[in-house]
Amino acid sequence: MKDEALRKALRETAVPVAAEAERRGLQVLEAAYAEREEPRRSRREGSRPALPRLVLAFSIATLLTALLLSPAGAAVRGWVGEVVDSPAPKPEPGLSEIPGGGRLLVQSAVGPWVVQADGARRLLGDYDEASWSPRGLFVAAVKGRALSAVEPDGTPHWSITAAARARDPRWSPSGFRIAYRSGQSLRIVAGDGTGDHLVDPDAAPVAPAWSPFGTPEVAYVNAAGQLRIAASEKRASRSGGPAGMAGAGAGRDVTEIEWGAGGQLILEVSPRRLHLQGMRLSKLEGRSEFGVQTALGVPAGAAVVDAALAPRQPLVAAVLTHWRAAGTRSSVVVFGPGGRGPRRLLSVPGSLGEVAWSPDGRRLLVAWPAANQWLFLPLGRGEGRAVAGVSTAFSPGARPASFPRVEGWCCRR
Amino acid sequence: MEIESGGIERLADAEAPSARQERRLVREAQEGSGAAMARLYSLHWRRAYRAAYLVVHDAAAAEDVAQDAFLAAVAALGRFDRRRPFGPWLHRIVVNRALDWARREALRRKVAREQSVFEPLPPPPEVSGAMIAALKELPAEQRAVVVLRHLLEYTPGEIAEMLELPRGTVNSRLRRGLNRLREAAGEELNAEVGR
Repeated sequence: MKDEALRKALRETAVPVAAEAERRGLQVLEAAYAEREEPRRSRREGSRPALPRLVLAFSIATLLTALLLSPAGAAVRGWVGEVVDSPAPKPEPGLSEIPGGGRLLVQSAVGPWVVQADGARRLLGDYDEASWSPRGLFVAAVKGRALSAVEPDGTPHWSITAAARARDPRWSPSGFRIAYRSGQSLRIVAGDGTGDHLVDPDAAPVAPAWSPFGTPEVAYVNAAGQLRIAASEKRASRSGGPAGMAGAGAGRDVTEIEWGAGGQLILEVSPRRLHLQGMRLSKLEGRSEFGVQTALGVPAGAAVVDAALAPRQPLVAAVLTHWRAAGTRSSVVVFGPGGRGPRRLLSVPGSLGEVAWSPDGRRLLVAWPAANQWLFLPLGRGEGRAVAGVSTAFSPGARPASFPRVEGWCCRR
Repeated sequence: MEIESGGIERLADAEAPSARQERRLVREAQEGSGAAMARLYSLHWRRAYRAAYLVVHDAAAAEDVAQDAFLAAVAALGRFDRRRPFGPWLHRIVVNRALDWARREALRRKVAREQSVFEPLPPPPEVSGAMIAALKELPAEQRAVVVLRHLLEYTPGEIAEMLELPRGTVNSRLRRGLNRLREAAGEELNAEVGR
């Protein structure tokens, strides 16, 4: 093999490149360059004699004027606006439809809203939190110590009052039970509001997650930071110990768990780590068993803002924030089966918020509070969509309007 | 907002900038010209990306590596000696970061293989061609040396300086890499590179 032949092959063999990768990199670079420019100029000023400095300033002003008035200058002006204001291409002014369909449950400062597929929205009432029932027929909502089942049009169905403030209601896939936290305890109530009982008196402030296998089991993190699976039919023993089984230590810094991928995985989200707890169904015993835990490759120095497990596939979407010398940057990545990848879908300057999967697992909704936008990102090929004016849409009349949080993207009707 | 989708890139159209042109652009960029910085970027991005890709064999990682290298270049631009060429400085960052990534990825895969209960999926279809396939089979350190020598056209002495290695190590990695490329690709590779 001749050197020239090798050189030719290395230079000319086609390599894959992400569409827009070069332009994306240029945006990042120019933003970083703009940030470093000012300090450098101010350092130089003191060392230059006055006359050359004036001549230089005049020359630069003339050059800039010529540049900005030229067609190329117009492009530069456009780019500056794009980088400073919004790196996303022209967002739509409002939500006219939910890309991919389904319905959203959105928690705002004034209460939860249901957003229909055509973009129509309705405020459910004065509740602190809410979550969908499995088929979207009801919403479990909490206000203070009250846990309520509310129809999507806002009609209350039933309500119970807990001993302490209620939080994180989660409806089981069967629709027969709701797990929720009250004070420090984890409790379960039947879907018709009856049979409220204690599961664990000492649970961590992490929302529980139901088994998608169809078994009456709920996963939660106890106060010791341990991931546990409790059978929903069994109550806490007299000594206070919960019924069920314990898994590997999830860690005291776990902020969120999700049980998904058809039941095969529990995702544990921490500020700096993501773990997948493998699960399998023991058909003989009719309950779930722990498998092997896998750490997902979160880059060193990156913080996990939010992560979500796909409804049926072993895919994890995560929003990561990186602090670099050039400034904060956030990215949306998707980890493949077994933590393979990750594949980056999006990278923007500044901070992003939560991420939610569409019911069919083909899209992601990512909150971008700094730009007041929601981003709908397809997993496959295709254009993403951005929707602007999110905070004002869900905080009518409020000054300043606060950015809402997406609590769930529910099933099609 | 951009969504990744597959695309194929060749380097044939991307010409290396002249030394004089590069010095002028670096000077202007140091003096605050965003346009000069953007021009430097456009002159070097494809080459940097390709070099990163040929070391890491992952499009997203190559993009990250190239992006990080340019960011590092911007951060250090004020300290850069403009009498020196910009390209080798950038390539040094690119290849070292690509090597770091490849080593981390190898470790991560090893750990994942030992811990995962899941059957790994086949890798996504990326690039066909005996050359790239054979290159991918080399250890990352050998890949980096081959890429620096035969894509970016540095001498073994320059590569030794870039990677902070003894020149003999560079030569031996180069020799082993080329031998393995020949063995792995065989006649198919010869046919391809001979086209």
